[in-house]
Amino acid sequence: MKKQLFWWGERALLVFVAVVALFPILWMFLTAFKQPLDAYRVSIFFTPTFNNFKAVFDEPWYLGRMVMNSVIVASVTVMISVPCASLAAYAFSRFRMRGRKFLFFLVLSTQFIPAVVIVLPFFLMFRQLGLLDTRLALIIVNLAIVTPFVIWMIKGFIDAIPVEAEEAAMVDGASRLRVIRDIVLPMAAPGILTSSIFCFILTWNEFLFALIITRREAVTLPVGLVNFRTERGDLWELMSAAGVMITVPIFIMAIIIQKHFTRGMTAGAVK
Amino acid sequence: MRDRGLPFVLMAPAFLIVLATTLYPLSYSLITSFREWRLTRQRRPGDFVGIDNYTGAFTNHEFLSSLWVTTVFVTISVVATVVLAMALALLLRRTGRLHTFVRIILILPFAMSPALIGVSFRFMFNPEFGVLAQGLGAIFPFLKGVAWLADPRFAMGILIVTDVWHWVPYMTFMCLGGLTAVPRETEEAARIDGASGFRILWEIILPQMRGVLVVVAILKTIFALKMFDQVVTLTGGGPGASTETLAYFVFKVGFHWFDMGQASAMAWILTAIMMVISIWYVRLLMSERKLVTA
Repeated sequence: MKKQLFWWGERALLVFVAVVALFPILWMFLTAFKQPLDAYRVSIFFTPTFNNFKAVFDEPWYLGRMVMNSVIVASVTVMISVPCASLAAYAFSRFRMRGRKFLFFLVLSTQFIPAVVIVLPFFLMFRQLGLLDTRLALIIVNLAIVTPFVIWMIKGFIDAIPVEAEEAAMVDGASRLRVIRDIVLPMAAPGILTSSIFCFILTWNEFLFALIITRREAVTLPVGLVNFRTERGDLWELMSAAGVMITVPIFIMAIIIQKHFTRGMTAGAVK
Repeated sequence: MRDRGLPFVLMAPAFLIVLATTLYPLSYSLITSFREWRLTRQRRPGDFVGIDNYTGAFTNHEFLSSLWVTTVFVTISVVATVVLAMALALLLRRTGRLHTFVRIILILPFAMSPALIGVSFRFMFNPEFGVLAQGLGAIFPFLKGVAWLADPRFAMGILIVTDVWHWVPYMTFMCLGGLTAVPRETEEAARIDGASGFRILWEIILPQMRGVLVVVAILKTIFALKMFDQVVTLTGGGPGASTETLAYFVFKVGFHWFDMGQASAMAWILTAIMMVISIWYVRLLMSERKLVTA
């Protein structure tokens, strides 16, 4: 009797947790398919429409341009930071050189600098160089938050790979670079992929830098959300449609790498 | 031996990036924090004014108020996150189909853009047609017609809720990682001896989780100190200045008032606070491996 009660209690709690986690997301998805009138009513019965998605890509919102900006900024940031970070992570993981602890400490501590501190000088610098409101500027500042984090994460993955295979290959006369290319890279690939997706998500969701550095041309999706606050009030149905555009690609990526994701999320922090 | 220079070559690109994108701007803003520089009046940095910007910060009423707001926000959000994450980890610890499903679901709040979280909670708490405002009003009559985001205490509460909602999943995964290191045998033995669930939690599980929980708490403190996005998209710092956190206030001084010197000084005060916490954290991570077994 007591055991059964416990069983049901646990089930109920789990369902409750799932509802709390999902509800805000579901509500946004529902609203994205509502007519403006339905959006201003608490109802789950309505005739769905795709008009909101059409509207956000049209005049005057041009969400397409923001999607482009977000995609380009996030992918280029990943393409620059992940290869560099992988090499550094390997060095941190495998070599016991002098100053290693200090350097790693340096990398880790930059991770905890508030973004506001970094963005002020960058704003001034980009203003001077005429780079405000460009994707290049956004990529540069995003590298700042992402790179230390990726080094940390990939190091966690490389640490978990046994060194024996590498040592054996080196004894057989393979050079260190060949070892990295032929042995370490294939084994670390899932970890590197996970870190890349993580890095993509961080950049994709980044708000503060984009808010300060972009005005019109280089605006990314999260900042674009603010545009839907107009003199006529908040256009919730359009905001939700834009929100769906922001979340769907990220959710798909997160679910695909789900197994590694939870491990990678904690590997760096706990190891 | 032939590897002697190699690690440094491998690290060079990443270090160039880190140096250029963090250490350079950091030193630049440190220098700016000792200068007079209002963008509305001068294009180029002005004279050095000693520590005027720092004394200016501590005599600024709004700055002190934002320090207080930050303290309240960080404290409640950290405590709530740690407790909920630990509880959830205990709940999700067993294997089962529903457990796995919930674990996958939990990735979503974490992957969601914080700016968007702010926006969607503002929508749900709109007093006229927000689904949560309506729902809570229907369940608890005394909450009917509350102008949620126009009330300082509720606004702060909702801000904390958005932050907790966003971070609990990540912290839960960290706790789950820690729990795998807690051996089941001691627990089973205690259970057979007739120990209550509460005692097992308090005397067996929690002491072994101490290291992980400390890490979770410090990490969450740092993230909470940095929190910015939802302030912009949820409350805009309002009503009044009741949800103006330090990060948001620095942004306001810098990019609404364009007082670069003052903003840099305040940013450095925030940095100093975070540095103390993070140095403590990193040292804990690097020296006490035993403490953090996961």
